[in-house]
Amino acid sequence: NMFFVTLVKFPMSIVVCVQLALHVFGDLLDSITVDVASECHRIARLGLERNLDEEEEELRLSAQARARIADPSNNVEANGKYVVDIFGQTHPPVANEIFDCMNCGRSIMAGRFAPHLEKCMGKGRKARLKATRSSTAAQNRYSRGSPVSTYSPYSSTASINRLSNGNPRAATGECSNGTVEEP
Amino acid sequence: MSTKPLFHKTNKSLPGKFRRASIKRPPTPDAEEEQDREPTLQEIINIKLIESGEKEKLKELLRERLIECGWRDEMKTLCRAFTRKKGRENVTVDDLVHVITPKGRASVPDSVKAELLQRIRAFLQTAAL
Repeated sequence: NMFFVTLVKFPMSIVVCVQLALHVFGDLLDSITVDVASECHRIARLGLERNLDEEEEELRLSAQARARIADPSNNVEANGKYVVDIFGQTHPPVANEIFDCMNCGRSIMAGRFAPHLEKCMGKGRKARLKATRSSTAAQNRYSRGSPVSTYSPYSSTASINRLSNGNPRAATGECSNGTVEEP
Repeated sequence: MSTKPLFHKTNKSLPGKFRRASIKRPPTPDAEEEQDREPTLQEIINIKLIESGEKEKLKELLRERLIECGWRDEMKTLCRAFTRKKGRENVTVDDLVHVITPKGRASVPDSVKAELLQRIRAFLQTAAL
């Protein structure tokens, strides 16, 4: 019997103390539990829980979506080209929304934007060569006294302008005390 | 000291006159019965806790810890789930208490329980049993 084993191992006073402490703790916890229940009851009855109906709707929709996935007629193979997602929507393999590139102003298709931006901003191999050639040419030109902006053997003037902004020599005008700041 | 065994818990929920089994028994003044029953250790401690204000402090401490560790939010979620099932208009406080009590008791973090027990036992020592 656990009680007698405890009695032998520990003095009675400690056993009693622990028992009492546990009882008091239980009392406190029960009291707080009733408070929480009471508050939730009030919220429920006063309709203060705005999200209750939204949550129900969410649960319903996700149950629906789950059912749709389980349905074999929504398989990729069956549908051919397009995949059906859990909301029953299909999406083209290349995103076809069109918008304007914030760098060069051209109209670009969303799915083609990343490779475009690489070239546009000078990250790719061809673009970097473009940049090196044009900036060294610009440096030579500038030291001979010719303005940079007229030198444009390549197609995009916008990219040249951008590169000359990053060129320390071209930015000398902004650094009046003669220090050259790396961009 | 009380002659009753230490862990005897009297049934306080019924007032004296309803404890009688038979109505044929001659009426006994209530006062006598009340005097026979001495307060249990638990009752004495409870009175000391309340009178000293320690019970209120302990309750606030426990409440704060339970909020911090997310226990209260867990219980509120259980209540919301139950309310959704049973319907907003049909829920009673009793329902909710029964819903959250078992889970509530089981999910108090050990550290919180230990901290409270420590403080309670410290109080018991100073209350000089």
